[in-house]
Amino acid sequence: MNYPTKSLSESNMKKIKQHLRAIISFTFVALLFLNPFLVNGQNDIPARPEPPRLVNDMAGLLSAEEQTALERKLVTYYDSTSTQIAIVVVKSLNGYDINDMAVRIGQKWGVGQKGKNNGIVILIKPKINNENGKVCIVNGYGVEALVTDALSKRIIENEITPAFREGQYYQGLNKATNVLFSLLKGEFSADQYMAKNKKKKKGTSPLIPIIIVIIIIIIVSNRRSQGPRSFSHGGADIPFWMLMGGMMNSGRSGNDFGDFNSGGGDFGGFGGGDFGGGGASGEW
Amino acid sequence: MRQTIIIIGVILVLALLTVVPMYNSYNKMVVYDEQVKASWSQVENVYQRRLDLIPNLVNTVKGAANFEKETLTQVMEARAKATQVTIDPSKMTKENFEQYQEAQGKVSSSLSRLLVSVENYPQLRATESFKELQSQLEGTENRIAVERRKFSELVMEYNAYIRKFPKNIYASWFNFKEKPYFTAEKEAAKAPTVKF
Repeated sequence: MNYPTKSLSESNMKKIKQHLRAIISFTFVALLFLNPFLVNGQNDIPARPEPPRLVNDMAGLLSAEEQTALERKLVTYYDSTSTQIAIVVVKSLNGYDINDMAVRIGQKWGVGQKGKNNGIVILIKPKINNENGKVCIVNGYGVEALVTDALSKRIIENEITPAFREGQYYQGLNKATNVLFSLLKGEFSADQYMAKNKKKKKGTSPLIPIIIVIIIIIIVSNRRSQGPRSFSHGGADIPFWMLMGGMMNSGRSGNDFGDFNSGGGDFGGFGGGDFGGGGASGEW
Repeated sequence: MRQTIIIIGVILVLALLTVVPMYNSYNKMVVYDEQVKASWSQVENVYQRRLDLIPNLVNTVKGAANFEKETLTQVMEARAKATQVTIDPSKMTKENFEQYQEAQGKVSSSLSRLLVSVENYPQLRATESFKELQSQLEGTENRIAVERRKFSELVMEYNAYIRKFPKNIYASWFNFKEKPYFTAEKEAAKAPTVKF
C-alpha cells in the first residue's frame, strides 16, 4: 500500500472523522445486540459435532485414518461401558484456560451419561509457532474417583507429552486412552499404574527416591506428632503418600496395556454428563 | 339473585386466576431455592477440599531446607480463619457471603504467594510428593472455578425469577430474598496459578 506523503487536508480529516464515528456507533450497536452471546461466552466454545463424534480434530493434527481408528476404539469402549471419552483438538483456546474450556466443552456437549456423569474430555491445543502445545484431561463427576487428578497428570506426563514432543500424536492418544480404559475398568489399580511408571523411570536420577523417602519420613513423623487427621476429602482421593509408595499390591504388576481392537458400532450421541473440574493439564 | 351469582362467579374466577399462578410460582421458587442450596454445598465442598490439601502442602514444603517460615504461617493462618467461616445456605446474606469470599480469597492469595516462593526451590519442585500435590491443587482450583460458576448461574436464574412482576409480590409474601453470587472481580476469583 502507498500512503500519501502530503498531510491530509482539513476536509478529508472531517470526512474521516465522520466515518470513524459511524463505524464506532455501528460497532457499539452491534455489540449491544451481541451482548447476550458475549456474556455467555458460549460461542467461543466449539459447537457439539453433528453427527456426534468422539474424536473431533479441528486443527488437522491427526490423519483421517488415525481419527477413524481412535473413533472406532472409543465408540467400542462406549458401547460396552457407556463411558464416553471425547478427544477434541482446537486451534485456539480463545483466551480460556485449557481446563476451563475442556469443562465447558464437556458440559455443552454433555459428554458422558446424565446422572452417571461418566465422561472424559481430552482437549489438545497443538504447538503453533512459538506457542507451547497444551493438553488436558478433565473427568466427569462420576469417574473422578477412578481417574484422580494426580493420575490424570501422570497420564499426561508419561503417555501424552513425551509422544507429542516427537510428533506422534496418535501414539500418545492411543496409549493414554489404553491407560484410561484400564483405570476405568479397575483392571489395574492406580497404585499399579504408579508402580509401573516407577520402574520405567528408573535411572533418571538417584537423588529423587532419596528425597522422596526423606520427605515421607518427615511427613510421617509430623503426622504422628500431630495425631490423626483426615487429609483427603470425601474418600474420593487416594492420599498422595499412597500414590507415592505405589507398591501396596504388587500382585498384578505384570499387566500390560494390550491394544483394544475389536469392531465398532455407531456412536449414539452424547448423553448429558456433567463435569466438576477434576483433571489435570500439561504442556509440551 | 342472578346478579349475586354472577358476581360470586366472577370473584371466584378472579381468585382462581390469582391463586393458581401464585401456587405455581411458589412451587417453582422452592425448586430454584433448593437448587441454589445444593449448589452452595458443592461450592463449600470444593473449598473444603482445598483447605484439606493445605496441611499436606505445608508439610511437604517445610521439608525443604530453610523455607521461609512466614509464608507458611500466613497460609496456615488464612486456612484457620477460612475453616471458621461457613454459611448456612438458608441464612445466606450479602454480608456473610462477602465474609466467606474474603476468607477464601485470603487463602487463595497466601497460597499463590507460597507457590511463587516455591519457585526458588527447584529440588523441592522436582519431588514426586510436591508434583502430586501440585496436580491435586490444580484440580481443586479448577473444581472451585466450576462450582462457583454453576452456583452463580443458578443464583442469577433464581434472582431473575423472583424479581419479575408479579412474582416479586409473592416472593416478598413468602420471604424469598435475592441471593448474592460470586463476582469475577473479587480476589478469590483469581485462582492461584499452579503451573511453573
